[in-house]
Amino acid sequence: MRSFEEYEVIDTDLFSAWDPNKFPILETKNLKKWFPVAEQSLLYSKTVNFIKAVDGVNLFLNKGETLGLVGESGCGKSTTSKTIIKLEEPTEGSVYFKGIDMFQPMTRVEELAIKRQIQMVFQDPYASLNPRRMVLDIIKEPFDIHFADMPYEEKEARVLEILSKVGLEDYHALRYPHEFSGGQRQRIGIARALAMNPEVILLDEPVSALDVSVQAQILNLLHDLQIDFKLTYMFIAHDLSVIKHVSDRVAVMYLGKIMEMAPTGELFRNTAHPYTIALLSAIPRPDPRIKMDRIILEGDPPSPINTPSGCPFHPRCWKAKEVCSQKQPPLEEVKPNHYVSCWFPEI
Amino acid sequence: MKKIEPILDVKNLYTRFYTESGVVEALDGVNFDVGYGEPVGIVGESGCGKTVTSHSVLRILPKNGRILQPPSEIYYKGVNLLDLTDEQMRHVRGKEAAMIFQDPMTSLNPIFKISDQMIEVIQLHRKVNKNEARDIAIEMMEAVGIPDSAERIDNYPHQFSGGMRQRILIARALALQPSLLIADEPTTALDVTIQAQVLEIIKEMQKQFGLALMLITHNLGVVAEITKRVHIFYGGRVVESGPTEEIFVNPFHPYTKALFDSIPSLEQDKTRLATIPGTVPQLINPPQGCRFHPRCKYATEICRRARPPDMWVTETRRVQCHHWEELDLTIDKEKVKEVRKTAVSVEGV
Repeated sequence: MRSFEEYEVIDTDLFSAWDPNKFPILETKNLKKWFPVAEQSLLYSKTVNFIKAVDGVNLFLNKGETLGLVGESGCGKSTTSKTIIKLEEPTEGSVYFKGIDMFQPMTRVEELAIKRQIQMVFQDPYASLNPRRMVLDIIKEPFDIHFADMPYEEKEARVLEILSKVGLEDYHALRYPHEFSGGQRQRIGIARALAMNPEVILLDEPVSALDVSVQAQILNLLHDLQIDFKLTYMFIAHDLSVIKHVSDRVAVMYLGKIMEMAPTGELFRNTAHPYTIALLSAIPRPDPRIKMDRIILEGDPPSPINTPSGCPFHPRCWKAKEVCSQKQPPLEEVKPNHYVSCWFPEI
Repeated sequence: MKKIEPILDVKNLYTRFYTESGVVEALDGVNFDVGYGEPVGIVGESGCGKTVTSHSVLRILPKNGRILQPPSEIYYKGVNLLDLTDEQMRHVRGKEAAMIFQDPMTSLNPIFKISDQMIEVIQLHRKVNKNEARDIAIEMMEAVGIPDSAERIDNYPHQFSGGMRQRILIARALALQPSLLIADEPTTALDVTIQAQVLEIIKEMQKQFGLALMLITHNLGVVAEITKRVHIFYGGRVVESGPTEEIFVNPFHPYTKALFDSIPSLEQDKTRLATIPGTVPQLINPPQGCRFHPRCKYATEICRRARPPDMWVTETRRVQCHHWEELDLTIDKEKVKEVRKTAVSVEGV
């Protein structure tokens, strides 16, 4: 079997300027994605407002690590990941992959070369696989797009190899998605993401649709694959115990902004942002002997259409002062590698 | 210790669904009880029969579902619900045993105001006029923490968020002063901070009204927090029941232990998770003998052949396993200590 490089049309000069020891593999700078809200009538439709799904996100992934991205529903986690893989065009800001601005004009060949290296696994294993295609065709499709001149036999051999990597058997290749359980389907989704031998995989709630016993199987599989293929993960989840388990660093998101970002141990021990503190205290612990003083936040997260002025968390924050409603606190490094966006962090 | 008569006593409950692809043995001899004013948890993975149990108790199964009679018996305050007529049953539902469902988005009718939906239910079961019913509704909405209840009662469901809707459903269920509240995954569709709010309300209401609570959930954290006693379901059977604290520290059934081990913990650092091989059994063609045996590492010949009996192993604990005595599943002491230590530091925050 020939290696991928032999099929690659362009030479790898594209990333030559990038030094993995100095720069993150993936970085977003002031990333914004606003969706227009239109007022429609028979004759015209005009934009009256914006849903600020992602509103100035700065985060980075170092090679080989797992970044956990956590937040409540509607905070923009999924939109962030969709923008990173170019499923959405950002309103403002940019995404850098190995130092290259992904949204600058580039040739189709260059674009494919970048896209090959960033893959995604979706949340719902029932909706993300085409029910009318066999598993073989589902996993083979990336080869058809990226390596059109690869012989059919080789594509097939590669599909079978990937299937065995995710714990499925050869005969599964000729089956249809409905013949699989939720956990097995998620394995197919992971196999599809692995097909192009990517460097970065964005995992959008990959286990939240699964039962706990199956969830553990998938988490272990992801862990093994990360070591085997030297993968970099961005792991999106709303379950903090899962996030704590898988991540090297964690970023906490609220209303389209990053509130806090720190190495996992640091974030859970020396929590600095009031929102993170409330979030951590809200999790019910599976141990009846743990009795905690819980911080119960008032109200619901505000709608991303009418975001509060200043810090987006200030209407629910118990530490809020006047400045919080006036000025948005910047994401600052309060300790080495510990970033917080708050005027009064707990340090 | 004198045994107190339970409010709900389910004995040998067998529920079957007749489908085109075969008979689904959804519940297969389920025994459990809920005491007066006692919060009880029903725990299990999807497809283990948790929801079917609650639907069987209230007799709201779909047309193709049958409760086998005999031997099934469901005693509520000493009366077998399965002997009641449909008319009598209607008085039990809502007035005696109320239910809140998982999805707050679909449990309210989107084209009627909240006031209409609350008043209708209250007038159906209590002899009050419309104004009195409205006052009761507003009072209940205030009790569950909905601000400006007097005005907001005339809003439509879409004007409320998920957490608020779940509060409305709790208010509606409690407006009838039931003795038993069945909550089917009440916080699964909610975010953690909202979940914390709703759990707090359920806890408060349970204490205030002395409700017997049957809390159905797959979230072990929620169970640990709210319930005093827990029944663990697997494959349509109750594999283990007992006081929550004891089961969480010292599980007797291999499934219970495996379930606890497979959840990532906030208290421990990044390690490999223990997994349960295979998947949840299909109940159309369930495994013979113990339904957990294909996934159990302790399974022997007898497990494959014979169904384990429901055994009372202490005053308060029951387990369905052939080998529970030989197994030492106790979560090791070191880990318990470690958990305690972190718990203290978390409290300190």
